[in-house]
Amino acid sequence: MSGHRVRAITRRLLQGFRRDRRTLALLFVAPIIILGLLGYLMRGSSSVPEVGIANQDTGPAGAVVVDALKRSSHIKTSDIDASQGDARLKDGSLVAYIVFPPDFSQKVAAGTVSPDVHLEGSQPGEDSPVIQALQQAMTMVAAQVSGRNITFQPQIKYLYGGSNYDTLDYFGAAFVGLVVFFLVFVITIVSFLNERSQGTLERLMASPLRRGEIVLGYMLGFTVLALVQAAEVLVFALAILKIQNHGNVLLIFGMEALMAIAAVNLGIFLSMFARSEFQAVQFIPLVVVPQMLLSGIIFPVSSEPAALQYLSNVLPLTYAVNGMRDIMVKGADLSWSSLQLDAAVVAGFCILLIAAGTATLRRRVG
Amino acid sequence: MHDSYAVNLDGVSKSFGAFKALNGITLRVQQGEIYGLLGPNGAGKTTLIRLICGLLEAHAGTVTVLGQRMPNVAVLRHIGYMTQQAALYPALSVEENVSFFAAINGVDGGVKEALELVQLYDRRSSVVATLSGGMRQRCSLACALVHRPELLLLDEPTVGIDPQLRVQFWEYFRRMAAEGTTLIVSSHVMDEADRCQRLGLIQYGRLLAEGSPADIRAQGGSQNLEEAFLALAGRRES
Repeated sequence: MSGHRVRAITRRLLQGFRRDRRTLALLFVAPIIILGLLGYLMRGSSSVPEVGIANQDTGPAGAVVVDALKRSSHIKTSDIDASQGDARLKDGSLVAYIVFPPDFSQKVAAGTVSPDVHLEGSQPGEDSPVIQALQQAMTMVAAQVSGRNITFQPQIKYLYGGSNYDTLDYFGAAFVGLVVFFLVFVITIVSFLNERSQGTLERLMASPLRRGEIVLGYMLGFTVLALVQAAEVLVFALAILKIQNHGNVLLIFGMEALMAIAAVNLGIFLSMFARSEFQAVQFIPLVVVPQMLLSGIIFPVSSEPAALQYLSNVLPLTYAVNGMRDIMVKGADLSWSSLQLDAAVVAGFCILLIAAGTATLRRRVG
Repeated sequence: MHDSYAVNLDGVSKSFGAFKALNGITLRVQQGEIYGLLGPNGAGKTTLIRLICGLLEAHAGTVTVLGQRMPNVAVLRHIGYMTQQAALYPALSVEENVSFFAAINGVDGGVKEALELVQLYDRRSSVVATLSGGMRQRCSLACALVHRPELLLLDEPTVGIDPQLRVQFWEYFRRMAAEGTTLIVSSHVMDEADRCQRLGLIQYGRLLAEGSPADIRAQGGSQNLEEAFLALAGRRES
């Protein structure tokens, strides 16, 4: 053991980093960005779920509960007609609606309360504030009806998902697409960078190949690979993990293909900004982590602070994840306007990234 | 307009930022000629070759290749380019590499002939990553000439290979020139210069002298090409 030699290695390492500004930035800036984002997401949440209320109670108790709900800070309420409820859940303007039946006051007098709670159900994080607000409102009512114990038995109905869904069912849909997206992105960025560093790209550029042909060829090659991977992931998720799926498997597959194409082109585009594989790998936390946090996989986009919602809405993964959930949890088909939007946005991103990748291909060879 | 020169550079300049890589170069290469670009490292040889195959665009002057102003994609199928480093796909076999470069140049056959020329046909199934440096250089050469280009650009093709292989390479080059292929070979090794029909000496981005090896010797006033080169370089500097 020679302290001198060990020191030489240590010094060499630090000397290299001194010149690699980007790695230094990643080491010291990225953690702040990622943790800051997480903190802002979890603490800065500004919006509260929209809950519709249909009070059909003929007695006084319904109005008391509704009043308590309206003052709750957990939810935002609006009066609706019970018959519109399901439609409002479907179009996404409500997360839940609560119906107080005509005999609600009588039941309160008898000691049991059972309002009908209808939950949209596809975003697990959004249900609990609704139940929480209702529970608090009920406690208040119980306090007002003196000397009686009231049993709180809300009748919960889910539009999608439901009590037989577990966490994996909700996240599975998003992750099936996510896994394919990120792995394909990593493979592409590294192999395109190899193409540069081993000098073959220069050869390609000196051949009659056109830039568009290179990008398209890459896209097809990796998409084939990605589809095989997607099929494997899907079979594993559905058959082994038994993640619930209400949609058409071909649609899931189609969505995954779009995500793979977007990932390939994102990889080609970003490889232009990396000089080494080391730098390429650094794009992973920068590209992957914010998208994981902001695409609505874990935190619903609608519950994010308003400023972050703008950011979420320009990330391709937000639409991809939403599309995957629409298909697998809600059983959406192509006649759904939300799925049409998701697919169109992801396809639009593909086209944008193909154009960007093709355009940047010229620059770095010279 | 189709001039008789395979490559015609007229007053070509190219800068990278403030650095003038090439400064008013005029040179002409005839069809079927082996033209040697000689000069020290950093003289501008690679930049010149990149300009000829259209990877770079000149800031001033014109580059005409096979009668077409460069950059021009249509001409590229008639050009073969062997880069300084053996630019190959390490995970593919020798034959797969050569077939790939044939295909992107729009050619189906010729792979066997190219591999036989560089004596790699017996090793065609070997994965490139497992080959020695010299074999990689040969494979790289096969990739550059598989589509039978009219103009072959070779950027220091013999760097890092043993003398025996170097002799073989020049044997290939002469055979191709005899069949009408124009070759431009860059080198900083003077003993290779003697094998070229004509030489261009480049230093600091300028063409110092041009002519047959005998001309260069006469101009530099020495029977030794290296001394002649140094004499010419020194004369220009003073």
